[in-house]
Amino acid sequence: MTRAGDLCLSCAGARVTLATSSDDRHPADNIIDGNPDTFWTTTGMYPQEFIISLNGIQKINKIILQSSLVRSVRIESSTSKEPVNFELRLERDLENTEGHLQYEEFTLPGVQVAHMRFVILSGFDHFVSVHRVSAEGDK
Amino acid sequence: MVKLSAKCIVAGDTTVGKSTLVQLFRSDGSHFPKNYSMTTSMEVSVKNVQIPDTGDSVELFLCDSPGKAIFYEVTEKLWDQPGALCLVFDVTNESSFSSCAKWLQRVRAKTFSPQLPGVLVGNKTDMAGRRAVERGQAEEWAASNGLEYFETSAKELENFEQPFQALAKAFHHLYQERVENFRSLM
Repeated sequence: MTRAGDLCLSCAGARVTLATSSDDRHPADNIIDGNPDTFWTTTGMYPQEFIISLNGIQKINKIILQSSLVRSVRIESSTSKEPVNFELRLERDLENTEGHLQYEEFTLPGVQVAHMRFVILSGFDHFVSVHRVSAEGDK
Repeated sequence: MVKLSAKCIVAGDTTVGKSTLVQLFRSDGSHFPKNYSMTTSMEVSVKNVQIPDTGDSVELFLCDSPGKAIFYEVTEKLWDQPGALCLVFDVTNESSFSSCAKWLQRVRAKTFSPQLPGVLVGNKTDMAGRRAVERGQAEEWAASNGLEYFETSAKELENFEQPFQALAKAFHHLYQERVENFRSLM
């Protein structure tokens, strides 16, 4: 079996198709650049969301979110051509990890997705950061 | 360049001048409501504040909230995750000042953040002859609760911008601090 590749990378054809906050210095594209040192920041108020559109429909097994100060998150997915018709996949409360990144794994065995929507429902502070999202499939 | 957004709760007892301050600030001083109209549900006004010496700005979503007790239950549900607090009292009304502790506690209970930028505003300073709360007393209470103190006269159009500008600045400062922290995370 070959090792699963990360489908949430700009170099794998993924794109951030929506983000509700934007600071030029910390753009949402940082979420899919493969580098956990760069990040996207929210700029105040909740909820906040971003959508990652993969390179076509892909089968995934798990999603990993690296972030900070996220208190609760909801993940939805869609297999439509456009990023619409999202279905709720899961909602989870995260622990506050001071001084290092939150590393959260979401197991979604064999789910088909074209678009993934992350809704940050609440944070441990006024702003949160998202450093990296990866999705592994079994191609 | 970044545009931040802050949900700013405007709270305090009834008739202290919360709505008047919000209306004045929102309209750059051109709208002073001459007649009293009781606020019975939360009213939101949006105002963009430039942060000096940066290209940045903070959009304040001013949540003007009713001061009357019977409306509190409904209001409180709309206060989730506040980004800033503007606490108002009337300098001629002692009990509106003592209520501030209660309002402060109510708003702070709605946030998960360790810091909530806040100002205390003593309004109606034009009624100097009827003053019941001294500046020093208010300043002291504000400082001991981590709030910045301002005195305003909405009627004389005095100082009505300063408290909101201070809140925007404090919120922007928090953002910069946070982003610095995000950079250092591994």
